[in-house]
Amino acid sequence: MSSPSAWWTVILVVGALNYLSRLSFIAVFARVEMSPPVARALRFVPAAMLTAIVVPAVVFVAPATLVFSYTNPKLVAALIAALVAWRTKSATATMAAGMVALWIVQWLLHAAA
Amino acid sequence: MSRIFSRPDFIAGARDMTPPLLGLLPFGLVCGVAAQSAGASILEALGMSALIFSGAAQILATQLIAADAPVAVTVLTCFVVGLRFLMYSAAMAPHLRGLPPRWRNAISFLLTDQVFAAGIRRFRETGDLRNGASYFLGSGVLLWTTWQASCLVGYWAGNVIPTAWSLDFVVPLCFLALLVPALEDRSTRVAAFAAGVAVVALDALPMRLSLICAGVVGIAAGMIAETRRRTR
Repeated sequence: MSSPSAWWTVILVVGALNYLSRLSFIAVFARVEMSPPVARALRFVPAAMLTAIVVPAVVFVAPATLVFSYTNPKLVAALIAALVAWRTKSATATMAAGMVALWIVQWLLHAAA
Repeated sequence: MSRIFSRPDFIAGARDMTPPLLGLLPFGLVCGVAAQSAGASILEALGMSALIFSGAAQILATQLIAADAPVAVTVLTCFVVGLRFLMYSAAMAPHLRGLPPRWRNAISFLLTDQVFAAGIRRFRETGDLRNGASYFLGSGVLLWTTWQASCLVGYWAGNVIPTAWSLDFVVPLCFLALLVPALEDRSTRVAAFAAGVAVVALDALPMRLSLICAGVVGIAAGMIAETRRRTR
């Protein structure tokens, strides 16, 4: 097993780096005026980053194995969940619909196999 | 402190964070299980969830430490995965300008994917500093506390949810629930589409650089779409 010092070194250094990353621009732009192009770019952060987090979790069925078809239950479930999110704007409904859809598609594929 | 703090908005922030948190519970469990099976002590596991406070970084750190990777490699990999916090920080910055430094420092510690997405929406909708900051604090405090609890349960009890239920899928679903309202117009949809294509195309990059690179590609695409729309 690994040494305890490795754990605490990683915890303290990564913890500090994460905090500094989180604080970085909040501290800087409290003093410095933000240039208009930067302000424009930042509007796209939520859409771009959240998509970059969600998509790999949905389209990869295994590391480096992309599946873009109905045989990927996660893809079907995510599309249904996205539709529910768009219509209801409710996180609970989105997660519930996505999970139920996933179970149904998994069960159907299992029954068909 | 009391000049900024607004109790109803703090509670509203915590209340609105509850559904996305349900989606985070399985993620916390997985992080706890990973720490336990990698041989971390309870204090080390708690140190990770409390101070690193990022599921993706915690999982990577446990995997790399368990594989006896050099500490520098582990630190660098976790830092790269945390680069998105720089973007979140920049996006939050204009809304937090009027806050006292103590508030800014506290709020920064709580900046995570979920709290960022919910908090920035609140700031845009209300345009009010007290309201937004208290809301952000409420959702952040609840998320941090729940995160510690779910990581600890995972560490002690193992994965209490049967894998056959595929409950880990609720993690991307809770991100999806935050993503859809952010697609407010054509330009943001272009940004999302470009980021989605890029993250798949760049998947082979080491250290999960695909995540931050796709974010940059998406932002650039969104800006181009917006400019073309304006000039037309």
